[in-house]
Amino acid sequence: MEDATNSTWIVAALERYESHLVHYATWILGDAERAREVVQETFLRLCREKESRLGGHLAQWLFTVCRNLSFDVRKKENRMSLIGDAEAAGAVYERPLAAIEREQAMTEILRIVATLPKNQREVIRLKFEHDLSYKEIAAITGLSATNVGFLIHTAIQTLRKALLAQSAKGRIS
Amino acid sequence: MKTNPDDPKWTAYVLGELNDAECAAAEKELESSAEAREIVDEIRATTMMLKEELARKEGAALTSTERQAILAAARAAQKSPAWYHVRQAFTVGALAATVLLVVATLSIPTLLRSRQAAGPGHTGVMTASAPTGRPAAQAEFGHYEPRGVQDPSSPKAVPQNEFADPALRKAEPSSSSSSSSPSPAPAGPIAETAGFLNSFVARAPSADAPDRPRFNTEAYDFISDNNFIRVSRDPLATFSVDVDTASYANLRRFLNMNQLPPKDAVRIEEMVNYFTYDYAPPTGSDPIATYAEIAAAPWKPEHRLVRIGIKGKEVDLSKRPPGNLVFLIDVSGSMADAEKLPLLKSSMKLLIDKLTENDRVAIVVYAGASGMVLPPTSGDKKSVLAQAVDRLESGGSTNGAAGIQLAYDTAVANFIRGGINRVILATDGDFNVGVTNQGDLTRLIEEKAKSGVFLTVLGFGMGNYKDSTLEKLADKGNGNYAYIDTLKEARKALVEELGGALMTIAKDVKIQIEFNPAQVNAYRLIGYENRVLRHEDFNDDKKDAGDMGAGHSVTALFEVVPRGVELETSSVDPLKYQQASQAVPQSRSGEMLNIKFRYKEPESSTSRLLEYPVVDRYTGFNDASADFRFAAAVASFGMILRDSPHKGQSTLDAVLQIADRSRGADRAGYRDEFVQLVRKAIRCQTSAAPERPCR
Repeated sequence: MEDATNSTWIVAALERYESHLVHYATWILGDAERAREVVQETFLRLCREKESRLGGHLAQWLFTVCRNLSFDVRKKENRMSLIGDAEAAGAVYERPLAAIEREQAMTEILRIVATLPKNQREVIRLKFEHDLSYKEIAAITGLSATNVGFLIHTAIQTLRKALLAQSAKGRIS
Repeated sequence: MKTNPDDPKWTAYVLGELNDAECAAAEKELESSAEAREIVDEIRATTMMLKEELARKEGAALTSTERQAILAAARAAQKSPAWYHVRQAFTVGALAATVLLVVATLSIPTLLRSRQAAGPGHTGVMTASAPTGRPAAQAEFGHYEPRGVQDPSSPKAVPQNEFADPALRKAEPSSSSSSSSPSPAPAGPIAETAGFLNSFVARAPSADAPDRPRFNTEAYDFISDNNFIRVSRDPLATFSVDVDTASYANLRRFLNMNQLPPKDAVRIEEMVNYFTYDYAPPTGSDPIATYAEIAAAPWKPEHRLVRIGIKGKEVDLSKRPPGNLVFLIDVSGSMADAEKLPLLKSSMKLLIDKLTENDRVAIVVYAGASGMVLPPTSGDKKSVLAQAVDRLESGGSTNGAAGIQLAYDTAVANFIRGGINRVILATDGDFNVGVTNQGDLTRLIEEKAKSGVFLTVLGFGMGNYKDSTLEKLADKGNGNYAYIDTLKEARKALVEELGGALMTIAKDVKIQIEFNPAQVNAYRLIGYENRVLRHEDFNDDKKDAGDMGAGHSVTALFEVVPRGVELETSSVDPLKYQQASQAVPQSRSGEMLNIKFRYKEPESSTSRLLEYPVVDRYTGFNDASADFRFAAAVASFGMILRDSPHKGQSTLDAVLQIADRSRGADRAGYRDEFVQLVRKAIRCQTSAAPERPCR
């Protein structure tokens, strides 16, 4: 129970998740500055937590708090009428996703990712960009773990088939 | 079986999201369906590409002002720990608090006992009852004022100390010098019941040492059980640690084919060490922690069973040092079978998935000729690595020696100081061209091991005839050896134990036990037959011994005949000239034995010594910890399979009963699998009257 008197775990958490969370919040909010505010608030709240109480669910805790705070910000700014529903939550990603991905020189696979339904894009990001487990993603998004597994598999199948079709085309030409 | 590519389980399988049962089912289907394997490979390739593309981009960070604010808040939190205790106490919940109050007022000893019954590893109320930290907790922000200082469940009411389990206590080092004795006992008259016991202190080194098999003798393949040794003849037991587990996987293969394994394929220490036990990792500066527990032996209740556990320090995998891995792969014709090269390729992909940009991987193949098929490549180039693995094909005869040379040269050329430098040899052990003389091959490996490059040997698809070669190579090469028969085993050896298998934290770990003649009549080391060392090798830093990886644990069992219990089969007459010899005062300390360890830091050539005395508290078998009972069941199973003269009154049914009731947490399901194996052995034994093999 030494962790209550030791802040190094917070420093370690900051080190490890800062960039991930800024990315995630930016993606939701479409605005890097507000995203940083949200991430700062997330970590300030973490300082009020006790490491042992997180029971090893640090990443899940951070992403959930960061997501909820991001939605709060959006709600305050009246950009969104409904929260809590995963489908509706997905809707807010439309603009920022497009913006971010246009900036990057999009590779083929990301181009296909961009065509996926919003709810699939979110779980794909959480899984492959932020390396979270099905269970963690389920807790963060409010979906069931089975549902998360289904969404990811469906997305992967779409990508797999698109890539196969492409390599087949490449071989012919 | 028709494979359904739209089943989400395939993606879940690739991402490691299936539970053990689902995973086993999926792997079974994979083994039988080429279509399924293709789907899984494609999914894996897709997920690897996604990971690479979506990998964290630089540049997204907080401003330094924002970060400073967080660090200041973290420091402030550090200064008011009391507040957090209160908060902690509250979040346990009102109900729990009430229960604790009642229990605490009734009887604290009762609570303590019930905690102990819950098994070692419980560190107290807080861990045990704290909620899982689900994000729902954020609704609670700001609701906690420092008003609950008198809260009944605050640490005052319930002792805060860890509920130390006397049965599995952590032994405290008494001294770090080899010459000083354990805690001084009052000097008094010589034990009146000394009988024919002689003084172990006066023993002239090796003058009367029994003729034991030496470490790494040529009599490797034939295992003869260690016999009881009278303390009067030799109070010292010296052996090297062994973290290998290949024997268990091998005998599982036999039992799964409804055959009892050949006797000599059963190495009891490798069976016992296959399982994880609840040893807490070391907290001090030493890389290993030591545990001892003593209770009655289930197969012979008048004997005592001593379980000695050593735990290597855990290494956070994300902080694991960079790896310089050279795969050395046997692609000879004999590797073509489905359970060899194809399984190896799937296994390698599991490992590659876990590597990072800091790691370097190279692949060398050997058959009639040897060659590099992948020059050292960064671990984040997942698709390049996966493609190189996919291209591996078998054909030709096996020239192991040339490949070993090339692999070590590659590893040395890319040596990372302070990193994990390792050659991973994957083979069925069928060397038939080039240096086939085992002696030359082991000498070659031994020579190469001096370069600081460690060796992992992965055995594939063989009977037990070749595993002596492979175990020997691993021993000589400062390495470890695992037998891979399924993808599940591959995951255990390569992924779950990535830190352990690949990162050595202590090398040449030797154990020497001194038994106290005032307490012990005779003793027997269970298993470790080919790990026995000469006593003088213990202090000889030039003598090689087993290595421990991060998080590895080693368990050794001794069967002890206490004073007053006669040894049933005594082949040696009592000594004529040494009866009623003097016992030194320390023999009355109440200690049963003294454990001494030597180990070296991975890059050091001088060893450190640790010493721990252990006292028998006369625990009955049923009062021992679940880990103890389970380890005893595994050892007993091994002795029955080996038809050991020391198996005592134990039966497979008794083993089944003990193992079934001592599964503990068993998160990975390994103990459950053991219980199933014992059931198979029982069916094997009853279905076929003639011994083995049975069908």
